[in-house]
Parts: sequence; C-alpha cells; structure tokens
Amino acid sequence: MNQHARTISLTVNGHAVTAAVAPRTHLADFLREQRLLTGTHLGCEHGVCGACTILIDGEPARSCITYAVACDGRSVTTVEGLDADPLAAELRDAFSAEHGLQCGFCTPGMLVAARDVVQRLPDADDAAVRVAMSGNLCRCTGYVGIVNAIRRVLDARKPRPE
Amino acid sequence: MSTTTGVGAPIRRKEDDRLLRGRGRFVGDVALPGMRELAFVRSPVAHARIRAIEVPPDHAGAVFTGADLAGDGVRAIRAASGLPGFKVSEQPALAIDKVRFVGEPVAVCVADTRAEAEDIAAAVFVDYDELPVNVDMLEAVKPGAPRVHEHWPDNVILETRTGGDLSAVAATAAVRVSRTIRTARQCMVPLEGKGVVAHRDRQAEQLVLTTSTQIPHIVRAGLAECLGLDQGAIRIVPPDIGGGFGWKGLLQPEEVVAAWLALRLDTPVRWTEDRREHLVAAANAREHHYEITAYADARGRLLGIEADALVDAGAYSVYPFTACLEAAQIGSILPGPYDFPHYRCRTVSVATNKPPLVPFRGVARTGVCFAMEQMIDAVAAAVGREALEVRLENLVRPEQMPFDNVTGKHFDSGDYPESVRRAAAAIGVEGVRERRARGEPDGRLVGVGFATYCEQAAHGTAVYHGWGIPMVPGHEQAHARITPDGGLELRVGVQSHGQSMETTFAQVAHEVLGIPVDRIKLVHGDTALTPYSTGTWGSRSMVMAGGAVATACRRLAERVRRIGGHLLQVPAGDTTLADGCVRAGAASVTVREVAHTWYRAPQRLPADVDPGGLEVTAGYKPGSDHGTFSYATHAAVVAVDPELGSVEILDYVVVEDAGTMVNPMVVDGQIYGGVAQGIGTALYERMPYDAEGQPLASTFMDYLIPGFTEVPHVRILHMHTPSPYTEFGVKGIGEGGAIAPPAALCNAINDALAPRGATVTDAPMTPEVILEALRRAGGPA
Repeated sequence: MNQHARTISLTVNGHAVTAAVAPRTHLADFLREQRLLTGTHLGCEHGVCGACTILIDGEPARSCITYAVACDGRSVTTVEGLDADPLAAELRDAFSAEHGLQCGFCTPGMLVAARDVVQRLPDADDAAVRVAMSGNLCRCTGYVGIVNAIRRVLDARKPRPE
Repeated sequence: MSTTTGVGAPIRRKEDDRLLRGRGRFVGDVALPGMRELAFVRSPVAHARIRAIEVPPDHAGAVFTGADLAGDGVRAIRAASGLPGFKVSEQPALAIDKVRFVGEPVAVCVADTRAEAEDIAAAVFVDYDELPVNVDMLEAVKPGAPRVHEHWPDNVILETRTGGDLSAVAATAAVRVSRTIRTARQCMVPLEGKGVVAHRDRQAEQLVLTTSTQIPHIVRAGLAECLGLDQGAIRIVPPDIGGGFGWKGLLQPEEVVAAWLALRLDTPVRWTEDRREHLVAAANAREHHYEITAYADARGRLLGIEADALVDAGAYSVYPFTACLEAAQIGSILPGPYDFPHYRCRTVSVATNKPPLVPFRGVARTGVCFAMEQMIDAVAAAVGREALEVRLENLVRPEQMPFDNVTGKHFDSGDYPESVRRAAAAIGVEGVRERRARGEPDGRLVGVGFATYCEQAAHGTAVYHGWGIPMVPGHEQAHARITPDGGLELRVGVQSHGQSMETTFAQVAHEVLGIPVDRIKLVHGDTALTPYSTGTWGSRSMVMAGGAVATACRRLAERVRRIGGHLLQVPAGDTTLADGCVRAGAASVTVREVAHTWYRAPQRLPADVDPGGLEVTAGYKPGSDHGTFSYATHAAVVAVDPELGSVEILDYVVVEDAGTMVNPMVVDGQIYGGVAQGIGTALYERMPYDAEGQPLASTFMDYLIPGFTEVPHVRILHMHTPSPYTEFGVKGIGEGGAIAPPAALCNAINDALAPRGATVTDAPMTPEVILEALRRAGGPA
C-alpha cells in the first residue's frame, strides 16, 4: 500500500468495512484483492464487457471503472452478496435450466445485469431484453440461453390470469 | 437411451452452482502466501534490434530479461513440424537481441501488486534499432522482403503441394470461375484472459503451475524442455477456465517466465493477461488468403478445384501446434463435403512481424469453408442455377458413405444433401425469394445464403502425424474408481474450459454403470492426478476421453458383476448391471454393497477376485483413425442497407448432425456459441495494422465482438447419424458452429447485392467492405 492511501468506510454485502486504499485502485481490484471477493470478474478493465458489474446503492455499476475511494459511504453488493436474494435465486435456477452459462466467467456480471432488467422491465420482450443486456459480453453462449433464462424469470413473475 | 440422466439426456450441469454464485476458482482468484505479481515490458515496435535494456537503479532486482533466463540455461520455445522443408524458429520467452512483433515480451517486472509491477515496467527503458517490417504476407513472400528470421533465406516457413495437374480439366471444362478471397487476423477473446500462478511445492519437490490451459500435460512437456527439468518435477493444475477457443492451447512464453521466476526467486508469482495485452499481443488467428479456381460442367457439377493458399503465420512457431498446422489443414480439407475428381492446392505458411498464429475454434475450416462455399455460389451464378441446387448436385450422397474423398478423408456417415434440404425448408427459401422480388419499403436489400461443411474431429494418430505436429495423439486414457460408499471418481487428462465435461462424462459413466450422476466426480487436467493426454482441442474430448470413460466403466462393470454375482451366489454371466444394482432374477445387490465388500469386507470376496479391484485405467481409440465427421448446413437471411453498408441478420438456421448427443442442451450451447463467434469473423472482427506493424485496436471499443444485439436467436435442427466408429456413435461437435457463419453470411450478402452487380469476398464484411463493393459495381442507389 503506498503512502497516498486513503481510508474509506463502506458497506460490502451488508457488512461495514473500513479499509485503506490507494486512490488509483478501482473497486473491482479492491473487492478482489483486499476483500477476497473474487466472484467479481475482470474481462476488459475498459468498462465495456460488463463482467465486473456489481451494485452500488442498488444500482448496477462497472466496478472496473469505479474508483474504490469514490465508494466511501456507499453500499456495495457483489454476486456473493446475492446468495439469499430471491430474484437472484430465480435467475440462477433459470440460467442453469436454459444453459445460460458455459465457462461461467461473464456470469456474475450477467446475473447482476439480468436482475436489474427483470426489476426494471417486467414487460420486456426478447428484443427489449437483448437491448437492455447489451452492456454485457459473453464469448461462449451465443446469448440464446441467457435471453431464454431472463425470459423464463419474466414469464414466471407475470401475474397469472384469473 | 436407458435412463433420464445418461447418454442423450439434456440434464442440468454439475458445474453451474459454483459459477452462478461467484464461487468458481479461476486463475486470477488464486492467491498464495508471499505471492508476487508480474507485469511484462512488451515491445512497442514490430521489428527491431534491441540495443540496450536500462533498468532504473531503484528497481534493480525487480526486472529480469532474456539474458537472465539464458544465463540460467532456460531454452527458447521450439516447435518443429515433421513436414519436410519446415523452417524452425526459436522463440526466447523474453526476447533476446531482436523483437519480431508488437507485444512480444522483452522483460518481466516483479512487485507486490500488479499496479506496482506495471509502474516498474513503465520505467524500464529499452533502446530499439528499428528494422523494416513485414505486415502483409503477400509482400513478405516477395524477393527482397525484410526477413523475420535473418538466418533464413526468405519468409516462407513451409510450402506444401497437394494433388495433381488440372490442365486437362482446365482445357475442357465448360465453366471456370476464379476468386481472390481473404480472411482477417483475429483475436480469440475468451472473456477470461490467460493467466498463471507458479510456485515451488517443497513437500512434493515440484514446480507447480496453476495455469489456465487447455493442454496441461503438453504444457508440462514443453516447460520441462525449456527449463531442463524432469517432467516429474513439474505439476500443472488447471483451475476453472474462463473460455479458451484455442488461445489456451499452447505453451506460452509467460508461463515459462513465471515458472522460472518462481524457482529463481523461490516465491509464488502470478501473471494475468489483461485485455489490452490480449488484443495487442494475441492477435493471432484466422488470417488466410486464397487464389482459387473452380472448374465445372454446364450444370455446375464440379470437375476440379485449384487453389493457392497463403497463411500469415506470424513471427514464431507455437508449441505444440507449429506454424504450419493451419496451412497443412487447408491442403487436406479445402474440398469440403463435396465429391469431385480433380484437385490441386499449394499452401504457403508465411512469417510476418505479427503475433504467432494459433489454431482458433475450427482452425483452418472457417477460412476453407468461406472460400469453398463462395465458389459453389459462384459456379451456380456462372451456370445460371440456384446455389442450393448446385450445392445438392455436388455434395457427397448418403449412399456413398463411408466415402473417401479426393484428399483421402474418410467421411464416416451422414446425409449431407438432406441437411441442405432441411435448412432450405426451415429458412423458407421460397418466402425469401418472394420478399426479395417485392423489395423492402426501407430500400434494404434482402438475400439468403447457405454453407455446408463437414468437420473432421477427434483426429487420429495418422492424421496428426501427417500434419507434422510434434504431439501425435494415440490412445486416450481414463481412470475410473468406485469409492468405498459406491460413488464413482473419474480422472481424465483433457481439460474442460467451459464444455461441461463434469456433467457429460458423468452421463457417460452413468450410462454404463448406473451410478447416479450426482455421485460421480470428475477430476480433469491435473498432471499429478490424471492420465497423460494431449488435451482439449480439435473437438476431441467427448469422442476420445468420453470413449475412454465408457471403456473404463465397462471393465469396472465386469468386476462389479463378478463380485455381485458371488454375493448372489450366481455366475457373473447370469447377472445384469442396471440402475446401480447387480441383478440375477429377482435377487439383487447394490453397487454400494459391492463396493463395501471390496473395500471393507474382503472376507466375502470370491477367492479368484480380480486383485485390480474397483479401479481401472483404460485406453481408447475410435474404430477409425480418421476421426469423426460431423456436418451441418447453415442458412442465413440478411438485409443489407446499400446506403450504410450495414447488415442485419433476419434469420439464421443450423441443421447439424453430431451423431449421438450425450447432452443435447450442451451440444446446442456449443453451436449457439460457435455461431456467435462465426458472426464475429463474418461481420466484425479484424485486427487492423498500420504500415509499421502497429495493431490499431486495443480495447473492446475498437475490436468488436458480437453482443446481444448482433447475434440473432439462432434456430437449430438436429439430424442423428451415429458414427459407426465411436462409443455410442458420438461425433466431435465443439468447433462446428464457428465454421460456417462467414460463408453463409457472405453468400447471403452476395445474394442481396446481386441485383446491384456487387460481390464481397473478404471477411469481415464490414460496412466499408460492402460500400466499396457497391462503389466498384457502379455506386449505391
């Protein structure tokens, strides 16, 4: 840790954390290297591929282009923090049923983004799902299984007709 | 099939839960006490002599160069092909004296964090004396071109010639069409970059590499050669691997450096490839150039194919696949799934100042299919028939199977024309024709295109020997062991990097032994725990390692029935093994009880019991050394905007035959994913270089891979022709999806552009390429 380290206090997956962090350290490196939360993956570190997507105060964000020091006072949720989340559980089940993952490297970011899409766009058709998810890249699945998984969750959450 | 979880069942994957919870263990997640991080100083120029490397005094001891490796006796990476005339390159893990491509590692920097290691790398000063550069393979083969390797007379790594003289055919054929066809240099872009953690295990007295590789046993062999160690002194332990597609199928210089440093510094070290490193230093796939001529009769029946194919193989020969696998493949597979009598092909592997070429999913087939399928459409246009009809006219027919083609490839089974007919029906050719005739309200041009290929997979011994590869696969082995509580452990030397092997090999074992899939555990890759294997490449793992698992489990089944029969007091021959029970009439004993007897109550065993017990290592080869031939027809409908040059894929159908599918869900996943990569090759992916050999893309903003909105909802239809030569009739399928999309989309785009008289022949078919074709044909609109 270099001499310019700053002390920040934030909430990570519900736990209060105080840590010294260099100003140049991005949030993903902080989470992975200092908090050992390795579920957040780095696929490009240019803010393009979406593998590092996490939640900051409940909103999806790219942890690779967010400085850790900018998260002082914020609440950060990683894929590990979604273990008990009911919607994340539905998505995990659907991703598995629809073969929405192969190598699994993009998957944590996909789940965080998909959870946001299901919450924000309950009436999305497949085309809208694709547009909404287009900030995340996958090199294995050809996206079909991921779209089908999100479709499955959207359909399951629709109110059933009387 | 026999059960709801065995061969043929689309069961969910055993791998999923940990990956969905962020609890996978990728190489970047591995941290060891005292571990230090590495960053590489990479060449910023494509070709230069290194005059000096200056390390600032405050970083002395933290920077190492090629001279340090050489001083410790580390040898250069050397991958020699057995093909006569092959020129062998020597690639020092860190450049010595000369650099030959932008991104080549020149020095390595060690620090407590990656960021600090990168700070040191930025402070290292390298004095380069720049040399003239080979950027274009067509220029690099001309006399007087600068030489990539000075001691070579030219830049030709290898020239091969296949087939004979076509002058008689040329003199008499009714139709002759020629094309110049080119595919661009690509990056493979697994979402996880390459990475390695190296450390010394004092207890085992081994150098241990936790490395993201598809070929752990081969990496061990190569590393032993470079470091001068016994192979037994090295252990390769692959963790979860975030995609590979070929990029993790070689011994990498960075692996050599990390291994050497772990020993030299006697501390764990880690290097993880970042995206910029990948795009710059690993732009290493697909670059082909064809001059190709087809001869046909007036109906479009092919009489012969002649081709000169150049492959830009980059600066070095990669271990183990060499710098000429791709060209050797072109010579032998260019004829594709077609039956024609005359063939000549010359291939040239050319050295240039670019990263070394590495086989990418489909290897040469993607380029070959792109070239050959354009020729089918060109012949059809020349004879005035539908491309579909000419394709059907020339494909090998089912009654000819098994069929030996013009280059001696032994096609095992299938109905290639039926795949075309089904694809045509599914895509609705008639409807597309009507829509095309009506015209689009927005002025776009609609077209339909097809591409058919067959894919040799699970290549046998003779095939690889014939290609000169210094790593010839023989029998594949698997170890199967029933645990004392009646579960099963499988050990295979292939390495999953997303292919779902933990699930599918369990399905194979379950099919034979009836042990529940969730009680079957796969250990794969780890060189200390698994049988030797050449690894996961060439769509071989299910055929070869799956076949070995089945073979081992069948031997186990015999032993289980022998013990079970003894417990039931009947001869083993009177027993059956199904659903985890040995049965004889109404009596039965579970595999669990058999296991308990062997391990815990041997007093109950028959006196002549096989002392090998309940574990078996078995080797396997398919009945044919030629491997398997899966095949497919891809059909695409596109809309091309003649003002913008943009392409929208309106529909995409794959009709494929993987023989027997162990897990149809997984097979579909491989196809969907392959097609997406093929769409990248077809429409988006190209590493541009300037005249000095500088790569001009270094982020995902300028190197475009297809996303959710670029890939359509591909429709897959299956045909089922089991291979006559493999366990269960499976055929290799892992690469197939990536082979045909550039060809199918090119033919569709050309169908759309036909009314304007424009033709595209080069991939990727970007808006610039399409607009240029329209300009040449007389301008848009």
